[in-house]
Amino acid sequence: MVIVQHADFDSAALVADLRRGAARGAGALVTFTGYVRDYDAGSPTRSLFLEHYPGMCEHEIQALCDTAMARWAVCEPTVVHRVGELHRDEQIVFVAVASAHRGDAFKACEYIIDALKTRAPFWKRETLQNGERFWVQQHDADAEKTAGWDTPAQRPEQQS
Amino acid sequence: MNGASTTINVLYFARVAELTRVRNEQWPLPAPITGAQWLEELVSRYPDLAPAGSLKLAVNQRHVAHGTVIHPGDEVAVFEPVTGG
Repeated sequence: MVIVQHADFDSAALVADLRRGAARGAGALVTFTGYVRDYDAGSPTRSLFLEHYPGMCEHEIQALCDTAMARWAVCEPTVVHRVGELHRDEQIVFVAVASAHRGDAFKACEYIIDALKTRAPFWKRETLQNGERFWVQQHDADAEKTAGWDTPAQRPEQQS
Repeated sequence: MNGASTTINVLYFARVAELTRVRNEQWPLPAPITGAQWLEELVSRYPDLAPAGSLKLAVNQRHVAHGTVIHPGDEVAVFEPVTGG
């Protein structure tokens, strides 16, 4: 399930829905929640504005979920991403993955959030407490992390 | 896409949209052209977008490399590297 929305989300309710959907086969459930944080220690953030490309965004995230399900033995993941004006400490993104065993759930959850950061068309505009405003630049480390999932060393065992 | 079309539908996002001051425009395109060639045209119209090499393209809502051919009727999106999550 992929949802892009302005409203906040209830991660406990999303986990309960995923558990219901996965029935009794899921012995492990891994979640990731991303929050608005200070830009850096000396530059407190007032708010973030998240812009997105409707349609392509949902399609890209669904494609990442499909890839995760093909690579690891996991149920249909849940991904919720917020857009619009978000204030300091608010939730931005939620990823939940259920699996029979923890290894696949951890890997699939990490893959989805890593790949989302470099593939899903969202852009963050930061407004600092001092009023300074700018578009956030993609970190080289994020691109490298996503690329790492494509290298043979990181490639998971094939599921039979 | 539409065989009779002689334009592409161009969408701009985030900082790119701030620099072009429009979010969407129809761009005349009578014949296919590579993304790299089209980006040169784009940067001639909006010099603030230079260098073209740092811009990302999506065609019909899919990420594409600059070597991809754009056809009349396509939806072409221009943006900087994404920063969600």
